[in-house]
Amino acid sequence: MTWKRICGLNDVAENTVRKFDVEGIPILLVNYGAGYRAIPPICPHMEEPLEESSVVVRCILTCTKHLWAWKLDTLEMQGETEKPLKSYDLKQEDGSILVKVEEELVYEFDAEEDDDDFFK
Amino acid sequence: MKITIQSKSSETTFDCGDGEAILHAGLRQAVSLPYECATGTCGTCRARVASGDVEVRWKEAPGGARLKPDKGDILMCQTRALSDCVLKVPSEIAAIDVPPAPRRGVIRNVRKFTRDVVRFDIDLSSPMKFEAGQFVVIDCPDVVGARAYSMANFDTEVDRIELVAKRKPGGTFTGWLFDSLDGEPEVAVFGPLGRAVFRPHEDKNIVSIAGGSGIAGIMSILECAIQADYFSSHKGSVFFGVRTLQDAFYLETLARYVASSHGNLDVTIALSDETAITPFHADYPSLRLESGLVHEVAGKAIADGVGDAVAFVAGPPVMVDGAIRRLITCGMPSRDIRYDKFS
Repeated sequence: MTWKRICGLNDVAENTVRKFDVEGIPILLVNYGAGYRAIPPICPHMEEPLEESSVVVRCILTCTKHLWAWKLDTLEMQGETEKPLKSYDLKQEDGSILVKVEEELVYEFDAEEDDDDFFK
Repeated sequence: MKITIQSKSSETTFDCGDGEAILHAGLRQAVSLPYECATGTCGTCRARVASGDVEVRWKEAPGGARLKPDKGDILMCQTRALSDCVLKVPSEIAAIDVPPAPRRGVIRNVRKFTRDVVRFDIDLSSPMKFEAGQFVVIDCPDVVGARAYSMANFDTEVDRIELVAKRKPGGTFTGWLFDSLDGEPEVAVFGPLGRAVFRPHEDKNIVSIAGGSGIAGIMSILECAIQADYFSSHKGSVFFGVRTLQDAFYLETLARYVASSHGNLDVTIALSDETAITPFHADYPSLRLESGLVHEVAGKAIADGVGDAVAFVAGPPVMVDGAIRRLITCGMPSRDIRYDKFS
Protein backbone atom coordinates (compact mmCIF):
# COMPACT_ATOMS: atom_id res chain seq x y z
CA MET A 1 0.00 0.00 0.00
CA THR A 2 1.83 3.08 -1.20
CA TRP A 3 -1.18 5.28 -1.99
CA LYS A 4 -1.63 7.90 0.72
CA ARG A 5 -4.39 10.46 1.17
CA ILE A 6 -2.98 13.96 0.80
CA CYS A 7 -6.16 16.06 1.15
CA GLY A 8 -9.77 16.50 0.09
CA LEU A 9 -10.79 17.55 -3.43
CA ASN A 10 -11.67 21.08 -2.36
CA ASP A 11 -8.73 21.75 -0.09
CA VAL A 12 -6.56 23.50 -2.68
CA ALA A 13 -8.13 26.35 -4.66
CA GLU A 14 -7.78 26.54 -8.42
CA ASN A 15 -4.46 27.99 -9.61
CA THR A 16 -2.88 27.75 -6.20
CA VAL A 17 -0.42 25.48 -4.46
CA ARG A 18 -0.36 24.10 -0.94
CA LYS A 19 2.29 22.19 0.95
CA PHE A 20 1.39 19.01 2.80
CA ASP A 21 3.28 16.63 5.00
CA VAL A 22 2.53 13.07 3.93
CA GLU A 23 3.99 10.83 6.61
CA GLY A 24 7.09 12.95 6.93
CA ILE A 25 7.51 13.64 3.21
CA PRO A 26 6.86 17.24 2.11
CA ILE A 27 4.67 17.39 -0.98
CA LEU A 28 3.39 20.41 -2.85
CA LEU A 29 -0.05 19.92 -4.35
CA VAL A 30 -0.80 22.09 -7.38
CA ASN A 31 -4.37 22.66 -8.58
CA TYR A 32 -4.16 23.90 -12.17
CA GLY A 33 -7.85 23.80 -12.86
CA ALA A 34 -7.89 20.92 -15.33
CA GLY A 35 -6.12 18.69 -12.81
CA TYR A 36 -3.67 18.29 -9.98
CA ARG A 37 0.08 17.68 -9.67
CA ALA A 38 1.96 16.46 -6.61
CA ILE A 39 5.58 17.58 -6.68
CA PRO A 40 8.55 18.15 -4.35
CA PRO A 41 8.12 21.58 -2.70
CA ILE A 42 11.34 23.15 -4.02
CA CYS A 43 12.40 24.46 -7.40
CA PRO A 44 14.93 22.14 -9.09
CA HIS A 45 16.93 25.20 -10.11
CA MET A 46 18.15 26.78 -6.87
CA GLU A 47 15.99 25.22 -4.19
CA GLU A 48 13.53 28.10 -3.93
CA PRO A 49 10.46 27.14 -1.83
CA LEU A 50 7.76 26.85 -4.50
CA GLU A 51 5.03 27.38 -1.92
CA GLU A 52 6.13 31.03 -1.89
CA SER A 53 7.87 31.50 -5.22
CA SER A 54 5.49 29.85 -7.67
CA VAL A 55 2.62 31.21 -9.74
CA VAL A 56 0.13 28.94 -11.50
CA VAL A 57 -1.56 30.39 -14.56
CA ARG A 58 -3.04 28.70 -17.64
CA CYS A 59 -1.70 25.27 -16.77
CA ILE A 60 1.86 26.57 -16.28
CA LEU A 61 3.77 26.66 -13.01
CA THR A 62 6.42 29.38 -12.95
CA CYS A 63 9.00 29.87 -10.21
CA THR A 64 9.17 33.65 -10.05
CA LYS A 65 12.73 33.64 -8.74
CA HIS A 66 14.46 32.89 -12.05
CA LEU A 67 11.46 32.16 -14.27
CA TRP A 68 11.87 28.45 -14.72
CA ALA A 69 8.46 27.10 -15.77
CA TRP A 70 6.73 23.84 -16.62
CA LYS A 71 3.44 22.93 -18.29
CA LEU A 72 1.54 21.04 -15.62
CA ASP A 73 -0.40 18.52 -17.72
CA THR A 74 2.60 17.31 -19.78
CA LEU A 75 5.50 18.47 -17.52
CA GLU A 76 7.02 20.02 -20.64
CA MET A 77 9.76 22.55 -19.77
CA GLN A 78 9.07 26.15 -20.84
CA GLY A 79 11.50 28.78 -22.11
CA GLU A 80 14.97 28.55 -20.62
CA THR A 81 14.11 25.94 -18.00
CA GLU A 82 16.91 23.41 -17.80
CA LYS A 83 15.67 20.67 -15.45
CA PRO A 84 12.48 18.58 -15.47
CA LEU A 85 10.00 18.74 -12.63
CA LYS A 86 9.63 15.53 -10.65
CA SER A 87 6.10 14.41 -9.95
CA TYR A 88 4.34 11.82 -7.77
CA ASP A 89 1.60 9.64 -9.24
CA LEU A 90 -1.76 10.88 -8.08
CA LYS A 91 -5.40 9.79 -8.24
CA GLN A 92 -8.78 11.02 -7.05
CA GLU A 93 -10.96 8.67 -5.06
CA ASP A 94 -14.07 9.22 -2.93
CA GLY A 95 -13.57 12.98 -2.70
CA SER A 96 -9.91 12.63 -1.76
CA ILE A 97 -6.63 13.10 -3.56
CA LEU A 98 -4.22 10.21 -3.12
CA VAL A 99 -0.51 10.23 -3.94
CA LYS A 100 1.70 7.25 -4.56
CA VAL A 101 4.69 7.70 -2.29
CA GLU A 102 7.35 5.04 -2.38
CA GLU A 103 10.20 7.33 -1.43
CA GLU A 104 10.75 11.07 -1.32
CA LEU A 105 11.53 12.55 -4.73
CA VAL A 106 14.60 14.74 -4.45
CA TYR A 107 16.64 16.82 -6.85
CA GLU A 108 20.32 16.12 -6.86
CA PHE A 109 21.82 19.35 -5.55
CA ASP A 110 23.79 17.54 -2.91
CA ALA A 111 24.69 14.14 -4.31
CA GLU A 112 27.90 12.94 -2.77
CA GLU A 113 29.30 11.06 -5.78
CA ASP A 114 31.98 13.65 -6.39
CA ASP A 115 32.53 15.56 -9.62
CA ASP A 116 29.88 14.01 -11.83
CA ASP A 117 27.16 15.24 -9.50
CA PHE A 118 28.15 18.80 -10.38
CA PHE A 119 26.46 18.59 -13.76
CA LYS A 120 23.18 17.12 -12.61
CA MET B 1 47.22 31.84 -17.43
CA LYS B 2 45.15 29.41 -19.44
CA ILE B 3 41.61 28.61 -18.25
CA THR B 4 39.85 25.53 -19.59
CA ILE B 5 36.09 25.39 -19.08
CA GLN B 6 34.41 22.00 -19.22
CA SER B 7 30.67 22.33 -19.70
CA LYS B 8 28.09 19.59 -20.09
CA SER B 9 28.89 19.05 -23.73
CA SER B 10 31.95 21.07 -24.68
CA GLU B 11 35.35 22.31 -23.66
CA THR B 12 36.56 25.89 -24.18
CA THR B 13 39.89 27.52 -23.41
CA PHE B 14 40.75 31.18 -22.91
CA ASP B 15 43.51 33.33 -21.44
CA CYS B 16 43.22 35.01 -18.06
CA GLY B 17 45.36 37.95 -16.99
CA ASP B 18 47.09 38.42 -13.65
CA GLY B 19 44.54 39.54 -11.09
CA GLU B 20 41.68 39.36 -13.60
CA ALA B 21 38.37 37.81 -12.52
CA ILE B 22 37.89 34.54 -14.40
CA LEU B 23 34.36 35.61 -15.36
CA HIS B 24 35.65 38.83 -16.92
CA ALA B 25 38.40 36.99 -18.77
CA GLY B 26 35.96 34.55 -20.36
CA LEU B 27 33.30 37.11 -21.24
CA ARG B 28 35.71 39.58 -22.84
CA GLN B 29 36.93 36.73 -25.06
CA ALA B 30 33.32 36.04 -26.11
CA VAL B 31 32.89 32.87 -24.03
CA SER B 32 29.33 33.03 -22.66
CA LEU B 33 29.98 31.93 -19.09
CA PRO B 34 26.81 31.92 -16.99
CA TYR B 35 26.27 35.03 -14.85
CA GLU B 36 23.61 37.49 -13.78
CA CYS B 37 24.95 40.09 -11.36
CA ALA B 38 28.74 39.77 -11.89
CA THR B 39 29.19 41.22 -8.39
CA GLY B 40 28.97 38.22 -6.07
CA THR B 41 25.33 38.36 -5.03
CA CYS B 42 23.41 35.94 -7.27
CA GLY B 43 25.48 32.73 -7.41
CA THR B 44 24.83 32.09 -11.11
CA CYS B 45 28.54 32.03 -12.09
CA ARG B 46 29.41 29.09 -9.88
CA ALA B 47 32.07 26.67 -11.09
CA ARG B 48 34.12 23.84 -9.65
CA VAL B 49 37.90 23.94 -9.85
CA ALA B 50 39.04 20.56 -11.19
CA SER B 51 42.71 21.52 -11.25
CA GLY B 52 44.87 24.59 -10.74
CA ASP B 53 45.32 27.22 -8.04
CA VAL B 54 42.90 30.09 -7.56
CA GLU B 55 42.39 32.97 -5.17
CA VAL B 56 38.92 34.00 -4.04
CA ARG B 57 38.69 37.72 -3.50
CA TRP B 58 35.40 38.11 -1.60
CA LYS B 59 34.99 34.89 0.39
CA GLU B 60 31.77 36.00 2.12
CA ALA B 61 29.96 36.88 -1.14
CA PRO B 62 26.27 36.09 -0.49
CA GLY B 63 25.99 34.40 -3.89
CA GLY B 64 28.40 31.77 -2.63
CA ALA B 65 26.21 30.64 0.27
CA ARG B 66 25.35 27.30 -1.32
CA LEU B 67 28.79 26.48 -2.70
CA LYS B 68 30.94 23.65 -1.41
CA PRO B 69 34.40 25.17 -1.03
CA ASP B 70 35.84 21.82 0.05
CA LYS B 71 34.96 20.47 -3.38
CA GLY B 72 36.53 23.46 -5.09
CA ASP B 73 33.34 25.41 -5.81
CA ILE B 74 33.87 29.09 -6.55
CA LEU B 75 32.09 32.11 -8.01
CA MET B 76 33.93 33.06 -11.20
CA CYS B 77 33.22 36.78 -10.67
CA GLN B 78 35.13 36.70 -7.36
CA THR B 79 38.01 34.44 -8.34
CA ARG B 80 41.43 34.99 -9.89
CA ALA B 81 43.66 32.27 -11.33
CA LEU B 82 47.10 31.73 -9.83
CA SER B 83 48.02 29.03 -12.38
CA ASP B 84 46.51 27.33 -15.43
CA CYS B 85 43.13 25.98 -14.32
CA VAL B 86 40.47 23.54 -15.41
CA LEU B 87 36.95 24.50 -14.28
CA LYS B 88 33.66 22.68 -14.56
CA VAL B 89 30.63 24.84 -15.32
CA PRO B 90 27.11 23.40 -15.07
CA SER B 91 25.58 24.95 -18.19
CA GLU B 92 26.02 25.22 -21.90
CA ILE B 93 28.64 27.61 -23.25
CA ALA B 94 28.11 29.52 -26.49
CA ALA B 95 29.63 32.58 -28.14
CA ILE B 96 28.68 36.21 -27.34
CA ASP B 97 27.89 38.73 -30.08
CA VAL B 98 29.24 41.84 -28.37
CA PRO B 99 31.77 40.72 -25.75
CA PRO B 100 32.41 43.00 -22.78
CA ALA B 101 35.84 44.53 -22.24
CA PRO B 102 37.75 46.22 -19.43
CA ARG B 103 38.09 50.00 -19.78
CA ARG B 104 39.26 52.80 -17.61
CA GLY B 105 36.85 55.60 -16.83
CA VAL B 106 36.71 59.02 -15.19
CA ILE B 107 33.66 59.96 -13.13
CA ARG B 108 32.32 63.37 -14.09
CA ASN B 109 29.21 65.50 -13.54
CA VAL B 110 28.01 63.93 -10.32
CA ARG B 111 24.67 65.62 -9.58
CA LYS B 112 22.13 65.01 -6.89
CA PHE B 113 18.77 64.07 -8.38
CA THR B 114 16.93 63.69 -5.08
CA ARG B 115 17.76 63.35 -1.38
CA ASP B 116 19.33 59.91 -1.96
CA VAL B 117 19.80 59.48 -5.71
CA VAL B 118 22.70 60.81 -7.79
CA ARG B 119 23.40 60.64 -11.48
CA PHE B 120 26.93 60.65 -12.86
CA ASP B 121 28.77 60.22 -16.11
CA ILE B 122 31.78 58.06 -16.77
CA ASP B 123 34.05 59.07 -19.65
CA LEU B 124 35.45 55.85 -21.07
CA SER B 125 39.04 55.25 -22.21
CA SER B 126 37.69 53.74 -25.45
CA PRO B 127 34.24 53.79 -27.08
CA MET B 128 31.78 51.08 -26.07
CA LYS B 129 28.90 49.47 -27.96
CA PHE B 130 26.03 48.13 -25.90
CA GLU B 131 22.39 47.15 -26.11
CA ALA B 132 19.69 49.18 -24.37
CA GLY B 133 19.11 47.69 -20.91
CA GLN B 134 22.68 46.51 -20.27
CA PHE B 135 24.89 47.36 -17.30
CA VAL B 136 28.56 47.76 -16.38
CA VAL B 137 30.51 46.73 -13.32
CA ILE B 138 32.55 49.46 -11.67
CA ASP B 139 35.58 49.01 -9.44
CA CYS B 140 36.99 52.05 -7.71
CA PRO B 141 40.33 52.23 -5.95
CA ASP B 142 39.01 53.31 -2.56
CA VAL B 143 36.20 50.78 -2.08
CA VAL B 144 36.41 46.98 -1.98
CA GLY B 145 34.03 45.07 -4.23
CA ALA B 146 32.57 45.90 -7.61
CA ARG B 147 29.18 47.53 -8.16
CA ALA B 148 26.80 47.10 -11.09
CA TYR B 149 25.01 50.04 -12.72
CA SER B 150 22.74 50.18 -15.77
CA MET B 151 23.42 52.69 -18.49
CA ALA B 152 20.68 55.35 -18.61
CA ASN B 153 21.75 56.74 -21.97
CA PHE B 154 21.82 55.03 -25.35
CA ASP B 155 23.60 55.31 -28.65
CA THR B 156 25.11 52.79 -31.02
CA GLU B 157 28.55 53.60 -29.67
CA VAL B 158 29.37 55.86 -26.73
CA ASP B 159 32.43 57.51 -25.14
CA ARG B 160 30.41 58.47 -22.10
CA ILE B 161 27.90 56.51 -20.08
CA GLU B 162 25.29 57.98 -17.76
CA LEU B 163 24.56 56.10 -14.55
CA VAL B 164 22.24 56.48 -11.56
CA ALA B 165 23.05 55.44 -8.00
CA LYS B 166 20.97 55.31 -4.89
CA ARG B 167 22.60 56.03 -1.57
CA LYS B 168 21.91 53.20 0.83
CA PRO B 169 22.54 53.50 4.55
CA GLY B 170 26.09 52.31 5.07
CA GLY B 171 26.63 51.91 1.30
CA THR B 172 30.36 52.37 0.90
CA PHE B 173 30.44 52.98 -2.85
CA THR B 174 27.56 55.42 -2.93
CA GLY B 175 28.89 57.12 0.19
CA TRP B 176 32.20 57.52 -1.59
CA LEU B 177 30.40 58.83 -4.67
CA PHE B 178 28.32 61.36 -2.71
CA ASP B 179 31.53 62.54 -1.05
CA SER B 180 33.44 62.91 -4.31
CA LEU B 181 31.08 65.42 -5.87
CA ASP B 182 34.00 67.75 -6.58
CA GLY B 183 36.71 65.39 -7.78
CA GLU B 184 37.00 63.41 -11.00
CA PRO B 185 38.01 59.98 -9.70
CA GLU B 186 39.25 57.19 -11.94
CA VAL B 187 37.52 53.83 -11.93
CA ALA B 188 37.76 50.50 -13.74
CA VAL B 189 34.73 49.73 -15.90
CA PHE B 190 33.86 46.24 -17.19
CA GLY B 191 31.02 45.76 -19.62
CA PRO B 192 28.60 45.75 -21.24
CA LEU B 193 26.85 42.97 -19.33
CA GLY B 194 23.31 41.71 -18.96
CA ARG B 195 20.71 39.99 -21.08
CA ALA B 196 17.66 42.09 -20.18
CA VAL B 197 17.96 43.99 -23.44
CA PHE B 198 15.57 45.74 -25.79
CA ARG B 199 15.91 44.97 -29.49
CA PRO B 200 13.68 47.07 -31.76
CA HIS B 201 13.41 44.30 -34.37
CA GLU B 202 11.48 42.16 -31.89
CA ASP B 203 8.39 44.08 -32.89
CA LYS B 204 6.53 43.92 -29.57
CA ASN B 205 4.86 46.37 -27.21
CA ILE B 206 6.90 47.36 -24.15
CA VAL B 207 5.87 47.22 -20.50
CA SER B 208 8.39 48.59 -18.01
CA ILE B 209 8.11 48.42 -14.24
CA ALA B 210 10.87 50.15 -12.31
CA GLY B 211 11.48 51.21 -8.74
CA GLY B 212 13.79 54.10 -7.82
CA SER B 213 17.19 53.97 -9.50
CA GLY B 214 15.99 50.91 -11.45
CA ILE B 215 14.53 53.41 -13.92
CA ALA B 216 18.06 53.92 -15.36
CA GLY B 217 18.00 50.90 -17.68
CA ILE B 218 14.45 51.75 -18.72
CA MET B 219 15.61 55.24 -19.74
CA SER B 220 18.17 53.64 -22.04
CA ILE B 221 15.49 51.39 -23.53
CA LEU B 222 13.14 54.36 -24.07
CA GLU B 223 15.92 56.42 -25.64
CA CYS B 224 16.69 53.54 -28.01
CA ALA B 225 12.98 53.16 -28.84
CA ILE B 226 12.54 56.89 -29.47
CA GLN B 227 15.62 56.99 -31.72
CA ALA B 228 14.09 54.12 -33.74
CA ASP B 229 10.65 55.85 -33.76
CA TYR B 230 9.44 52.58 -32.26
CA PHE B 231 6.30 54.14 -30.79
CA SER B 232 4.97 55.02 -34.23
CA SER B 233 3.84 51.40 -34.43
CA HIS B 234 4.09 49.97 -30.89
CA LYS B 235 2.66 50.79 -27.50
CA GLY B 236 4.73 51.43 -24.41
CA SER B 237 3.77 51.58 -20.74
CA VAL B 238 6.19 52.75 -18.08
CA PHE B 239 5.46 52.42 -14.37
CA PHE B 240 7.98 54.27 -12.23
CA GLY B 241 7.76 53.73 -8.48
CA VAL B 242 9.08 56.22 -5.93
CA ARG B 243 8.20 57.02 -2.34
CA THR B 244 6.99 60.60 -2.85
CA LEU B 245 6.87 63.01 -5.75
CA GLN B 246 10.03 64.60 -4.33
CA ASP B 247 11.84 61.32 -4.99
CA ALA B 248 11.00 61.19 -8.70
CA PHE B 249 13.53 62.19 -11.34
CA TYR B 250 14.00 62.07 -15.13
CA LEU B 251 10.48 63.55 -15.35
CA GLU B 252 11.42 66.12 -17.97
CA THR B 253 13.01 63.44 -20.14
CA LEU B 254 10.04 61.11 -19.68
CA ALA B 255 7.64 63.91 -20.67
CA ARG B 256 9.76 64.55 -23.78
CA TYR B 257 9.56 60.85 -24.71
CA VAL B 258 5.78 60.89 -24.28
CA ALA B 259 5.58 63.95 -26.54
CA SER B 260 7.55 62.10 -29.26
CA SER B 261 5.57 58.88 -29.00
CA HIS B 262 2.60 59.55 -31.32
CA GLY B 263 0.36 59.08 -28.29
CA ASN B 264 1.55 55.49 -27.81
CA LEU B 265 3.68 55.86 -24.67
CA ASP B 266 2.04 56.07 -21.24
CA VAL B 267 4.09 56.95 -18.17
CA THR B 268 2.71 56.50 -14.66
CA ILE B 269 4.54 57.63 -11.53
CA ALA B 270 3.48 55.44 -8.59
CA LEU B 271 3.86 57.04 -5.16
CA SER B 272 4.15 54.49 -2.36
CA ASP B 273 4.31 56.85 0.65
CA GLU B 274 2.14 59.71 -0.51
CA THR B 275 -1.35 60.21 -1.91
CA ALA B 276 -1.47 61.41 -5.48
CA ILE B 277 -3.68 64.46 -5.15
CA THR B 278 -4.05 65.01 -8.90
CA PRO B 279 -4.29 62.40 -11.66
CA PHE B 280 -1.52 64.13 -13.63
CA HIS B 281 1.76 65.81 -12.71
CA ALA B 282 1.30 69.57 -12.29
CA ASP B 283 4.45 70.51 -14.25
CA TYR B 284 4.44 67.57 -16.68
CA PRO B 285 0.76 66.87 -17.36
CA SER B 286 1.58 64.05 -19.78
CA LEU B 287 2.76 61.98 -16.80
CA ARG B 288 0.11 60.20 -14.76
CA LEU B 289 0.23 59.95 -10.97
CA GLU B 290 -1.09 57.06 -8.89
CA SER B 291 -0.87 56.09 -5.22
CA GLY B 292 0.46 52.68 -4.28
CA LEU B 293 3.31 50.25 -4.76
CA VAL B 294 4.49 50.33 -8.34
CA HIS B 295 3.96 46.62 -9.04
CA GLU B 296 0.41 46.86 -7.71
CA VAL B 297 -0.33 50.00 -9.73
CA ALA B 298 1.10 48.28 -12.81
CA GLY B 299 -0.76 45.06 -12.02
CA LYS B 300 -4.10 46.89 -12.02
CA ALA B 301 -3.33 48.75 -15.23
CA ILE B 302 -2.33 45.62 -17.16
CA ALA B 303 -4.89 43.26 -15.65
CA ASP B 304 -6.68 42.97 -18.98
CA GLY B 305 -3.52 41.95 -20.77
CA VAL B 306 -0.87 43.83 -22.69
CA GLY B 307 -1.08 42.20 -26.10
CA ASP B 308 2.11 40.88 -27.61
CA ALA B 309 4.59 42.56 -25.30
CA VAL B 310 7.97 42.24 -23.71
CA ALA B 311 8.39 43.37 -20.10
CA PHE B 312 11.40 44.96 -18.41
CA VAL B 313 11.60 44.94 -14.64
CA ALA B 314 14.22 46.69 -12.48
CA GLY B 315 14.38 47.80 -8.89
CA PRO B 316 14.61 46.51 -5.33
CA PRO B 317 14.22 42.70 -5.01
CA VAL B 318 10.78 42.84 -3.36
CA MET B 319 9.46 45.05 -6.15
CA VAL B 320 11.02 42.85 -8.84
CA ASP B 321 9.44 39.71 -7.36
CA GLY B 322 6.04 41.42 -7.05
CA ALA B 323 6.19 42.76 -10.60
CA ILE B 324 7.17 39.38 -12.07
CA ARG B 325 4.29 37.75 -10.21
CA ARG B 326 1.80 40.31 -11.62
CA LEU B 327 3.13 39.94 -15.15
CA ILE B 328 2.84 36.14 -15.08
CA THR B 329 -0.63 36.35 -13.54
CA CYS B 330 -1.65 38.68 -16.40
CA GLY B 331 -0.71 35.88 -18.77
CA MET B 332 2.70 37.05 -19.91
CA PRO B 333 4.97 34.10 -20.82
CA SER B 334 8.14 33.99 -18.72
CA ARG B 335 10.33 34.17 -21.83
CA ASP B 336 9.04 37.73 -22.43
CA ILE B 337 9.94 39.00 -18.96
CA ARG B 338 13.44 40.45 -18.64
CA TYR B 339 15.33 41.59 -15.60
CA ASP B 340 18.82 41.44 -14.15
CA LYS B 341 19.12 40.63 -10.49
CA PHE B 342 21.95 42.81 -9.36
CA SER B 343 20.25 44.81 -6.64
